Amino acid sequence: MMVKVTLRNLAAHKLRLALTALAVILGVAFVAGTLVFTDTTGRRFDDLFARTGQGVAVKVRAKKVIEGADAPAVPASLAGTVARVPGVAQAYGTVNGFAAVVGRNGEAVGGSGPPQLGIGWNPADRDHPVTAGRGPARADEVVIDARTAGKAGLRVGDRARVLVQGPAQDVTVVGVVDAGNLMGATVAAFDEATAQRLLLRPGQFSDITVRAQAGVGETTLRDRIQRALPSPAYEAITGTKMRNENESEVTRILSFFRTFLLVFAVISIFVGGFIIFNTFSMLVAQRSRELALLRAVGASRKQVTRAVLGEAVGVGVVGSTLGLAAGVGLALLLQQLFRASGAEFGGGLTFTYRPVLWSYAVGVVVTVTAAYFPARRAARIPPVAAMRDDVAMPPRSLRIRLIAGSVVTAAGAVLSGLGLGGAPIALLGAGAALVFVGVAMLAPVIGRPVVRVLGAAYPRLFGTPGRLATKNALRNPRRTAATASALMIGLALVSAINVMSSSAKASVAGQVDEVFAADYMVTPVSGVSDPAEAAGAVRAVPGVELVTAAYQGRFKVGTHAQSFLATERPADLVRATRLSLRSGSADLGRDGLLLDQPTATSAKVGVGSVVTARFADGGTERLRVAGVYAKNQLLGPRVLALPAYRAHAAHPAGLGLMINTARAGAATKGAIERALSGHPSLKVQDRSDVKQDAQHSIDQFVTLLTVLLTLSMIIAVLGIINTLALSVIERTREIGLLRAVGTSRRQTRRMIRLESVVIAVFGGLLGTAIGVVFGIAVQHAVADRGLDVLSVPVPTLVAYVVLSAVIGVLAAVWPAWRASRLDVLKAISFE
Amino acid sequence: MTSSARTMNGGPPAPAALTTAARADRISKAYGRGDAQVVALDEVSVALERGVFTAIMGPSGSGKSTLMHCMAGLDSVDSGQVYVGDIEVTRLDDKRLTRLRRDRIGFVFQAFNLVPTLTALENITLPLDIAGRKADQAWLDTVIDTIGLRQRLEHRPSELSGGQRQRVACARALASRPEIVFADEPTGNLDSRSGAEVLAFLRNSVREMGQTVVTVTHDAVAAAYADLVLFLADGRLVDQIPDPTAEKVLERMKGFELPGITA
Ligand SMILES: Nc1ncnc2c1ncn2[C@@H]1O[C@H](COP(=O)(O)OP(=O)(O)OP(=O)(O)O)[C@@H](O)[C@H]1O
Ligand SMILES: [Mg+2]
Repeated sequence: MMVKVTLRNLAAHKLRLALTALAVILGVAFVAGTLVFTDTTGRRFDDLFARTGQGVAVKVRAKKVIEGADAPAVPASLAGTVARVPGVAQAYGTVNGFAAVVGRNGEAVGGSGPPQLGIGWNPADRDHPVTAGRGPARADEVVIDARTAGKAGLRVGDRARVLVQGPAQDVTVVGVVDAGNLMGATVAAFDEATAQRLLLRPGQFSDITVRAQAGVGETTLRDRIQRALPSPAYEAITGTKMRNENESEVTRILSFFRTFLLVFAVISIFVGGFIIFNTFSMLVAQRSRELALLRAVGASRKQVTRAVLGEAVGVGVVGSTLGLAAGVGLALLLQQLFRASGAEFGGGLTFTYRPVLWSYAVGVVVTVTAAYFPARRAARIPPVAAMRDDVAMPPRSLRIRLIAGSVVTAAGAVLSGLGLGGAPIALLGAGAALVFVGVAMLAPVIGRPVVRVLGAAYPRLFGTPGRLATKNALRNPRRTAATASALMIGLALVSAINVMSSSAKASVAGQVDEVFAADYMVTPVSGVSDPAEAAGAVRAVPGVELVTAAYQGRFKVGTHAQSFLATERPADLVRATRLSLRSGSADLGRDGLLLDQPTATSAKVGVGSVVTARFADGGTERLRVAGVYAKNQLLGPRVLALPAYRAHAAHPAGLGLMINTARAGAATKGAIERALSGHPSLKVQDRSDVKQDAQHSIDQFVTLLTVLLTLSMIIAVLGIINTLALSVIERTREIGLLRAVGTSRRQTRRMIRLESVVIAVFGGLLGTAIGVVFGIAVQHAVADRGLDVLSVPVPTLVAYVVLSAVIGVLAAVWPAWRASRLDVLKAISFE
Repeated sequence: MTSSARTMNGGPPAPAALTTAARADRISKAYGRGDAQVVALDEVSVALERGVFTAIMGPSGSGKSTLMHCMAGLDSVDSGQVYVGDIEVTRLDDKRLTRLRRDRIGFVFQAFNLVPTLTALENITLPLDIAGRKADQAWLDTVIDTIGLRQRLEHRPSELSGGQRQRVACARALASRPEIVFADEPTGNLDSRSGAEVLAFLRNSVREMGQTVVTVTHDAVAAAYADLVLFLADGRLVDQIPDPTAEKVLERMKGFELPGITA
């Protein structure tokens, strides 16, 4: 019987529930879309890795010394040692490094994420069959993969430039290989000796690839080889393990990407939860007489709760199903977006059970959870309410709300504080969610005075419709609050992001002015390159006084991997970066090290101390602390003498050039750019370019985040529409009465619209207020990590409040239209 | 038709002759189609005189409400014309109808007459406020004093009794000094004492303030407050009693109600 009641109600309130379901649909679509897309991308990479390194039985390599840096190379002689192990069919060295192919248009191909690979050509390599031309035989010959050739506009016989970590190479393309779909990566192969010289060091391999004789298993062979290795610094791994490692690297990046998107999906669902809660509360309130009648004729409390929850399950299932379908569409859209930005995705979508499972789990659980409280409330309706004439929900005191809301908000603030203070960042998320729930609980209390103030001018500006609008918004503070809260969340996050980004921009500007004493900075657009050659070219430009090439690297002191900056003439940093020495000198010699004050203090070292550092190649170096400088945002905590770095890295990773000139200006900049015309991956920037560049990338990131948060705001708008539409239904008789005594259609529409605006602006104000508080908190928490200037973008925040008013107007269009179209007579006799 | 309109301070000027406040001219209205068609009004013509308290009676389903709705511009007619004052209601579009209801017609429903968010006073001045007109304070005071609820003006409808609510509704209907007030069973939900208060108020508004009031009622005692009782049956005007008493009305009702029901 109660099932019948549930089904009848679902059918009777199709429109009201459709809007609720829409909130579920949008949230679930976001989840499903993210999962389908990342599954699909993961599958493509799986295919790629299944293809590459297929016949490899064992890999021999040096153990990694520093996390996050390349493993050391192995000597070429190791290949011979391995080849002699019984069961080895073939053992050859492989060379891997960075090499970017410059296309006919003068720009390097790829580089927006996927690697630009330089490899040593090996005739035994079966992964890359030659489709045109032949393999490289001389130092100035190169073979590239077919897709890169296509993008670069190069064919066999063409001359081309290849960028490596060192002087750029002018070479002839002698062959093209089919490497299949590399998901955007590029490949350039040199002959073995050249590859070693350009990418590693002569006489070294990145690792040794081993193929097994027939009948010899991977693990057997690995164990045999392991025993034959001359040093514990080397290790042998099975081909399977190697392929898994490659995969897990991509999986890690993909799962980061997935988590990033899912965070926004969760926000959308969270907002959706508010709307579901609100809709069910209103449906229960509107049906209180009917529910009381059920109770009066003998339905138990449990049955009433179950009947309402049954509806929630129905809405959840329908919403999840449609959301899943919409998610597939979203995944296709994402794929198109990525394709448009250069990544290569072939084929259709991959479906696993995962998106399906999660869609239903999320959709149904969220709907039922959000509907639980209204359902419990429904059960508490006394049976006598059936006899009462007016809407029978007794007004409840807001005191409990006030207390509970304050407690939840405070708990959320504490958790957020812990998250900001260094505890796992997830705590910050949980804290923020709690703050939102807490403030939403407080919102009915806050709402009364705020709505009064907001609506104070209404009667004067808009007459009676204005007065009625304010009264309607005040009529059910909980409903107004829940509706406004949905909008609050999105706007709070956007406002917080704006405060942070505005602070970041101001901080960057301040730091650039403070430490950037060079006139120009030359940095690689993508990838790494050795700035030494470029430095030489720039030094020849008239008017250039000082060119400082900077490199970066990592070494390990004790058990900690630490990053450093290296430069050949540290004394020049005094002028180029306003290096201010506190003690010692900037004369580093071969093995000197500069530390900034906080680092020196916390490591308890000073001028004259000796620090033993282990480099990525496995070698160690005793470094002399030559000086201590004041904290410098551009240099970071450590500056190392370049010779010490070079001793452990044949191709140190270049950071860029800092250039001081006699007279900075367009002419000088032009001359520098001309001198660097052979280095397409380098760009010249002056101080304001550097600022703009940094600010531009911050802006881009903000835009991305805002776009991702837009969905949550759309859901909030649906919430306002839903609340208004339900209010219109609830007040049908009242609206009929107003029309009967002479309210025009326009006045009716205006009344609904103004109510909507009050609710939306209340949400907007709450949101921006919370957002500003969050933003300021974050800025304070990370002030010593670079975000040292607080900047609150007031005009932007005001614009968001205005935007929420506009949202209010838009959300009211349909409900207002419905209200104004009500048939007066029918409305008056509406039950 | 004994009672001519008497005026008092603040009331409208006494008409030189008896004129009609509202008039229906052979109006017909049917609901549904084919076999299911119900003729609610069948060529009804009535003239409601200014300054007269008219009661409409008749068996359930005889078309009383329909007649009121059509004359008040709340519903359309299939044929015939309705005039309020010199305005032909049946020719107005929604915008003009709304303005007509706002400025020239008062309406009291059986229940749910008041906007719950507004106080009693705000409800009374609602049509004026909507129109953006200032209330005539003297007139308003007269109306408020007549309903006798000066102490409850700041109360919400939920804080008033059913009878008080209906009196507030009557005051609202009169506040803009309309051409005519329609009241559809205004005492239907009230006990006899509260009902009497409301009816007395309506009669006073006619006798002392010169208003024109039409009310639908099932109650012979209520009808006795009126100056004229019209009888409807099966969508047709079948009889009228001037200067009714409860006995006369009761007598008349017995007379035609039986055939009216069996018909
Ligand atoms: N919206 C409608 N649809 C169909 N028929 C209707 C509608 N409204 C009224 N009727 C029919 O029109 C006829 C007249 O109805 P009306 O409401 O005018 O009667 P009434 O005299 O006011 O009755 P009561 O004393 O019960 O209020 C009735 O037969 C009724 O069933
Ligand atoms: Mg009726």
